[in-house]
Amino acid sequence: MNYILLVPVFFPMLMAGLLLLVPKEKEQNIWVVATLVIEAILVFGLYLYEDATTTLWRLAEGVYIAYKIDGLGHLFACLFAVIWMLVSIYAIAYMKHEERPRQFFFFYLLALGALMSLCFAKNMMTLYLSYEYMTLLTVPLVIHTREKQAVRAGLKYLGYSIFGAGLGLLGFFFLHIYCTTTDFVAGGSLNTLLVAGNESLLLVVAFLMILGFACKAGMFPLHAWLPTAHPVAPTPASAVLSGIITKAGVFCILRVIFFLFGADFIGGTWVQKTLLILILITVFMGSMLAYKERILKKRLAYSTVSQVSYVLFGILLLSPIGLMGALLQVVFHALAKNLLFLSAGAIISETGETLVSRLSGIGKQMPIVMGCFTIGALSLVGIPPTAGFVSKWFLAQGGLSETIGFVGVIILMVSAFLTAGYLLSIVVHGFFPQKEEMEVEPEVYTENRYMTVPLVILAFGILCLGVYPSGLQNVITEIVTHLF
Amino acid sequence: MEQNYIIPILIFLPMIGAFIGYGIGRVNKTWRNHWACLVTAVVFFGSLSLIGSDATFVMENVCGLGLHFETDGLQVVLAILAAFAWFATTVFSEEYFAHYHNRNRYYFFLLMTLGATLGVFLSADFYTTFVFFEMMSFTSFVLVIHDETTEAIKAAGTYLTVAIFGGLVTLMGLFWMYHMAGTLAFSELADFVAAQEDVSGMYTCAILILVGFGAKAGLFPLHIWLPEAHPVAPAPASALLSCILTKSGIFGVLILSTKLFLYDGTWGYFMLTLGTITMVLGAVLAVFSINLKRVMACSSLSQIGFIVVGIGMQGILGSHNALAAGGTILHVANHSILKVVLFLSAGAIYMNLHKLDLNDIRGWGKDKPFLKAVFLMGSLGIMGIPLWNGYISKTLLHESIVEGIVMLEEVGQSALYLQTVEVLFLFSGGLTVAYMTKIFVAIFMEENPYATKEVHHKSYISKPSMIALGIPAFILPILGIFPHQTMDVIADFSYHFMGAHAPDHAVHYFAWVNLKGAVISVVVGALVYGLFIRKVLMQTDANGNRIYCNLVPEWLSLENKVYRPALLQILPFIGGFFARMAGNLVDGCIAISRILVFNSDGAKFIPGEDQYFSVYTHAEAPKKVYHEDFARSLMMVGLGLAAVLLYILF
Repeated sequence: MNYILLVPVFFPMLMAGLLLLVPKEKEQNIWVVATLVIEAILVFGLYLYEDATTTLWRLAEGVYIAYKIDGLGHLFACLFAVIWMLVSIYAIAYMKHEERPRQFFFFYLLALGALMSLCFAKNMMTLYLSYEYMTLLTVPLVIHTREKQAVRAGLKYLGYSIFGAGLGLLGFFFLHIYCTTTDFVAGGSLNTLLVAGNESLLLVVAFLMILGFACKAGMFPLHAWLPTAHPVAPTPASAVLSGIITKAGVFCILRVIFFLFGADFIGGTWVQKTLLILILITVFMGSMLAYKERILKKRLAYSTVSQVSYVLFGILLLSPIGLMGALLQVVFHALAKNLLFLSAGAIISETGETLVSRLSGIGKQMPIVMGCFTIGALSLVGIPPTAGFVSKWFLAQGGLSETIGFVGVIILMVSAFLTAGYLLSIVVHGFFPQKEEMEVEPEVYTENRYMTVPLVILAFGILCLGVYPSGLQNVITEIVTHLF
Repeated sequence: MEQNYIIPILIFLPMIGAFIGYGIGRVNKTWRNHWACLVTAVVFFGSLSLIGSDATFVMENVCGLGLHFETDGLQVVLAILAAFAWFATTVFSEEYFAHYHNRNRYYFFLLMTLGATLGVFLSADFYTTFVFFEMMSFTSFVLVIHDETTEAIKAAGTYLTVAIFGGLVTLMGLFWMYHMAGTLAFSELADFVAAQEDVSGMYTCAILILVGFGAKAGLFPLHIWLPEAHPVAPAPASALLSCILTKSGIFGVLILSTKLFLYDGTWGYFMLTLGTITMVLGAVLAVFSINLKRVMACSSLSQIGFIVVGIGMQGILGSHNALAAGGTILHVANHSILKVVLFLSAGAIYMNLHKLDLNDIRGWGKDKPFLKAVFLMGSLGIMGIPLWNGYISKTLLHESIVEGIVMLEEVGQSALYLQTVEVLFLFSGGLTVAYMTKIFVAIFMEENPYATKEVHHKSYISKPSMIALGIPAFILPILGIFPHQTMDVIADFSYHFMGAHAPDHAVHYFAWVNLKGAVISVVVGALVYGLFIRKVLMQTDANGNRIYCNLVPEWLSLENKVYRPALLQILPFIGGFFARMAGNLVDGCIAISRILVFNSDGAKFIPGEDQYFSVYTHAEAPKKVYHEDFARSLMMVGLGLAAVLLYILF
């Protein structure tokens, strides 16, 4: 028993409740940022409590809420907490123009609590519960503007997510019987005696579970909520939805594959092959639709569809080097996509333009924002020395060891070319407008300091991790060696 | 091995210097210019200190696999050439950019590109090469687009697209290579390939890698960016593009050809073919062009073709490839220095006239002896006239082809292919003479019938620019007159990297056998100039004056006819079609079942002003899609029966 584990989960929730009592807007802002800074420090501090466990509440035999720290959960928790903190600084400036900032931050803090609960979940029950709470607590962020389209998008998001979570729950029912324990055990905990003879059933279960959780990660065919919900949310929310919430889906898939079924059970079966095909369809589809898309935020949302499937590709290769690439991509994509969304939001809130074609010349007016956007874009394309290059290198190395992976690497390259097409074209037109297409009025737009600081930090992070990734690589290597 | 700290200084000093220069430039522009000159000067002298050192430098774990550098002879030669060209152009830039905007940006990216380029040349494995190669592509993009005119933006877009495409294909090849060999270090790759019994798999891989480097070098069929980008870039930038950046592509090709496929005939013939096409194509395009910098860009294309022919001959000649190897590296060196001279001369013309069309700048140089002399040196050099440097390298290349023919004939094989290449080689040499004569005569000898009254400037070129132009121009005849003391030394220096051995005896450059090639080229050139350029390409205009005409029709462009439509319209259409089908699959199913189950179309609408949505309810009362009547019930019963039947059957 170690109650320290409850702190990162319930601290943001408690602070969210108390936020409602804070009267002034300025104090609220300080409250939120302070909470998230402390939260980030706490989460990093948990490094000292490796393998600690806490049981919170027993419902029945085998069904209980419990938390545990392991390397994988801690990596994700650190990432989530840091990004959440950086986005909150940005959100302060952004929410000045929106209504009901208090409500927004209330759910924003609550959602982080749910995410932390997800990361530290010890068993299936806790994971499922946190996953559903995460969905429910992020819906208010999507529908924050209360416009008709936002409400509709929120419902779509809710519908897809609940359906996906339902598939996951279905799997838990089966696994409750077929696993020796409901806890997550590295390498899987299938009861070989019971499984014998029922392999095909369990493979279907595995397929459905992964498909269900992949809904959050935006994998084809359940990706459709993503390009609808992300653009309507206020920018800070769409940034974390794209950068973080999709990764929560990835995290659940990791738990299912490596901690319940075990990589050996799925490796080489039709499940792996079918999922890889679906993933590759997603990679291409996302990039292609992003290339065709004219609305900036929607373009970025489609880009997320494609990029998160890079992660899934690495995971489903079920090889150490593929998983290494996948986990690197989790971190690097989270940084880059948040950076891109936040820059886009900074531009949109300042100029009011949502169409890509109307952003010519914006780089001259908002150089810092567009400079950071450029770094994020280069990272997504995978140009050295940005971080995206490193993850792509490992993903490709993992992919080449498989026959289907070889096709996969080619599709990754096509996708990278399309990514360059849809992101770098914005950069080029932004910095070098054609004379006749100077759409952005020559009036000078200013850059808000609260908005640029997180952007610069993220951009700096991308460059640093790109130039010197070995620290992160070591952490991930340790995680990966436990799983194989 | 011992770490050599000069290498990182050479690479990272310009990069750090770029930031410092940017800072200085916000305060004082003159000091910023001096700073840039100082940095390039330091880098130049630093690169000279690498001569003779066989040093390495390793940065473990940086950028994933770690960066590895080494200084083999050839790499030092290339680094010195790069540093020299940068120094000369930076000095020249001060005057050229005197009235430009965004100079801070220019200097920033100029220095960044220098660092990246040196990183490419000094790299010891493909990973490092690629990291810096990509950086170089992006930083040089800003140099190309610097003028921000419509043409510059279009050309730079082409440049960037080709660079990214090439980079990604190369990366794919590198993934594969690393997967197969487990290493990307040049020396280890050589051992790996040598140990392979069947190299055919390696060919595919190498061709993938070749795409990116070939595109940068301007090899057919990815040469399209080159004649577009060089003319629109500011002259110092186009000098660097032409002199050094294309050579970074050549460097990659050289690694493939001399480390992976050393003495490999198949690869040699492949490179020879690409080289020959590029060589002829560039020369022909240059003859037709009437824009000064475009002529020179096409000329670069053609000279790159000469170099790649040399690379191809290295493979074909096997272990007796000293002539080809020497010719290759010397032509690389000569072309770099020549193009500095020629492009900077063009820059001197442009910064006074702001025009590049031959009809506009015609006769401008008549009374400018300094520029005339400098340009003449460059022209004679590139034409391959004896006593100038271009002659030396072209002779070696020509000799290597002749040697190849002799070798094939000795073993009784048909040498028809190589003989064709030889003819084309001499013909391209002739075209070089023709187009350089055309430019020189037009600018420095003819009268301009439409000359505007010359406003007498105090001076058309400043002292520092004169030095920057004069020194490289002065080197050219020296290299040509004393080949054994100068050029042979450079070649000896580079043989080790290319796996070649110095020839048994010194080449007699000025023997009649060798002079013959030059004479043939000059005769061909004179004929082309006299009979074709003067008669066909110059036409009489309305006022009875002879003017230069561009007879290449506008539509005859590989880029506009094939690449652009394919890349911008056809492929996105096909891809978009399938992607949309996949993208709307589930949403579509939901919409259809909604119609079938609820008999409601959800009042589907596609709002114009609301861009976020395609299909959503708008109206309060959704209308019915179909009438619930007897016919529908019958249809549903029928469908049900069909379903049951199918279930029973299967």
